[in-house]
Amino acid sequence: MPHIIPLDQAQIDDPELHALMARAEELGVPDGVFTGIVARVPSYAKVLLKALLVSHGQGNVDHKLKEVIRIQLARFAGDTYFSALRSKRALAAGLDEATIDEGCNSYEQGTRFSAAEKVALRYADMMYLDANQVDKAFYDEMKQHYTEAQIMELGGFIAFHYGMQVFMRTLNAAPATALATAPAAMMPAGVSPTLKPH
Amino acid sequence: MATDWQQVDAAFYDQLRQYYDEEEIVELGTFIGFNIGYHTFFGTLKFYPMFSPDGRLVSQEESARLYGAAPVSLGGRKVA
Repeated sequence: MPHIIPLDQAQIDDPELHALMARAEELGVPDGVFTGIVARVPSYAKVLLKALLVSHGQGNVDHKLKEVIRIQLARFAGDTYFSALRSKRALAAGLDEATIDEGCNSYEQGTRFSAAEKVALRYADMMYLDANQVDKAFYDEMKQHYTEAQIMELGGFIAFHYGMQVFMRTLNAAPATALATAPAAMMPAGVSPTLKPH
Repeated sequence: MATDWQQVDAAFYDQLRQYYDEEEIVELGTFIGFNIGYHTFFGTLKFYPMFSPDGRLVSQEESARLYGAAPVSLGGRKVA
């Protein structure tokens, strides 16, 4: 049971919030647990859901790559809730669990990601493992693959989703619908034994 | 939440409820999460306040000298 009990749909009477919740349900991220929790503060819930949906589903960076980054961050944070969710749109576009696992655990050595995708995965990886490594040289490397707008899109997406994950990891929350792959998917992975994310 | 989140458990939430209602706890949690996420990202971008503590418009170089080149958050904090 989450430490904060999610509100039921019937307890929410804001039509704009209902519409945003429907959009989230359609994407699959977040599901009704997160939306029901943040719906306790409707004014916050609306801007949080808009920001989650826009940063994840819109922009000029591939949605499948963002989905891998989102799961990488959630596992890294130790957030079992967001780790277990999957974007239906990304799955429909061909994203599979093997690619997600490689993106979380061995993207540098693997063959599933391009050089541009690897630097984006490293951006997320290093942001909360050792932000000092995300320096001018790193941004120069990113600029070889991405425009400034895309870098801001990625940075904002990473920061915002990680921020919500560090909140959700404290709540003992589980997804509304268990995934077939949940046991493996919910295992935080990829964290260095010597360095801890914050 | 940032430095030792596993201490934010059921007992901690019970303690919070002595002072805050559920709405306020969600408000605090999302606000803190947002700030943890964004301040680390902003720290990597090396930008500094536009104004000095006494209200002067200053260059980014001067602002960096005034406010410090390495935000404390990048070095991590320890729980007391």
